[in-house]
Amino acid sequence: MEFNIINPKTKSELLKTIRKEKHFRFGAGCTDLLMELKKNSDEGLTVINLSQVKDAQFNGVKKSAKGIRLGAMLTAHQIVMNEDIKNNFPVLHEAALSLASTQIRQVATIGGNLCTASPSGDMACALVTLEADCEILGANGKARTIPITDFFTGVRKTALKKNEVLYGIFIPSKKKKVKNITSRFIKIGARRSMECSVVSLAYHIQTDETGKIIHAGVAIGASAPTIRFAKSACGFLIGKKFKNISQREKEEFAGKVLSYASPITDIRATAWYRKEVLFNISKAIFE
Amino acid sequence: MKRKVKKSKSKVSQLHEVSFTLNGKKVFCKVKSATVLLDLIRDVFELKGTKPGCNEGECGACTVLVDGAPVNSCLFLAINADGKKLTTIEGLMKPDGTLDPVQESLVQNGAVQCGFCTSGMTMTIKALVNKYENIPHVPGEIKSEIPTRDEIKKHLEGNLCRCTGYVKILDAAEKLFSKEE
Repeated sequence: MEFNIINPKTKSELLKTIRKEKHFRFGAGCTDLLMELKKNSDEGLTVINLSQVKDAQFNGVKKSAKGIRLGAMLTAHQIVMNEDIKNNFPVLHEAALSLASTQIRQVATIGGNLCTASPSGDMACALVTLEADCEILGANGKARTIPITDFFTGVRKTALKKNEVLYGIFIPSKKKKVKNITSRFIKIGARRSMECSVVSLAYHIQTDETGKIIHAGVAIGASAPTIRFAKSACGFLIGKKFKNISQREKEEFAGKVLSYASPITDIRATAWYRKEVLFNISKAIFE
Repeated sequence: MKRKVKKSKSKVSQLHEVSFTLNGKKVFCKVKSATVLLDLIRDVFELKGTKPGCNEGECGACTVLVDGAPVNSCLFLAINADGKKLTTIEGLMKPDGTLDPVQESLVQNGAVQCGFCTSGMTMTIKALVNKYENIPHVPGEIKSEIPTRDEIKKHLEGNLCRCTGYVKILDAAEKLFSKEE
């Protein structure tokens, strides 16, 4: 493994480096990057090390009335420990906690999880459910914001242009009353730790005082080239009473979720298995 | 780990100055861009207690504490240790030779067999002990914050052991907390 590394310390140094370098990749927690480079050396590669950049927007959490903004360099461990996330967006808390292992979570970042753009990304799946926005910083210092579903363009492909870096993620608070939430991340794999999902399902459902569903977000991972937001399945739930959903409705909902899946057969599971599991765990949300 | 001499010398890899605290001592060295912390600890500082296992972040044998956090040193760039406080297994023993309570508990509970996973396992358990010691509690009150066996299991998910079947390791970790009350 050979590469050169550049350690920008500030945002302006980072932008300058991005403008100057030709053949580079970003390193955040480097847990994925080093694995990749250990396997396939990339001659002449420069790694721009993001972990020494001191910038509050890059490394911090900012809460506002509209939602919560997470710096791209927050680690999975920091996400797990954040009380606001745990209380308001449990799906993201659970996804971060299910990621890899204790050791990896100390260094792996939320931005890295998104930029790797794996169809089975854990935190990525939760963020799709929460309809987050991605804040992208250009080399000129200008930021643009895109919905997370537009951020993923294919397997390990993102909407990031060559001179752009993911700067932060914004999770909007959907409804003012965030008390009644059912928000979970379900990860199916051969074991519970150090596992890449065979199928994952993330959901964030809000109900009003009467138990009627007023907002629903459902996303599926490892079931298609990108993580998919199951829009029609979400729409189907609005107005229904969470506790009174009939067996037929549960199946109809699961069918709608499944319509977004186009899984492949690979080393982890067959396409058939993935579909069966997805259908069953979708149904099980209400049980 | 021997480093092969690379054929292409066209681009000489740059060296970076790194200084950090290693087991309580200030150290300074020069590292290549791609050097991982594991190789720095073992090859430059010759601390061989940290074990190279899978070299891909799966087994946890190479776990060390960076600013108290357990990390896989095989997937951690040496450059990023700059300015940090690093603890390896060699840093746990007290100067008078007495073992750290974590080490002592592993010994007492028969949690060591071949020993290859032990230093990594010890460091990960140490991190959990530190975490619970740092939880503020009202003085005089019984420390209610004790990890459950399931929490200990979850915490140790990144450390593999092929000998013990984990039961004695978990016992050793659990006893550390029950003793503290």
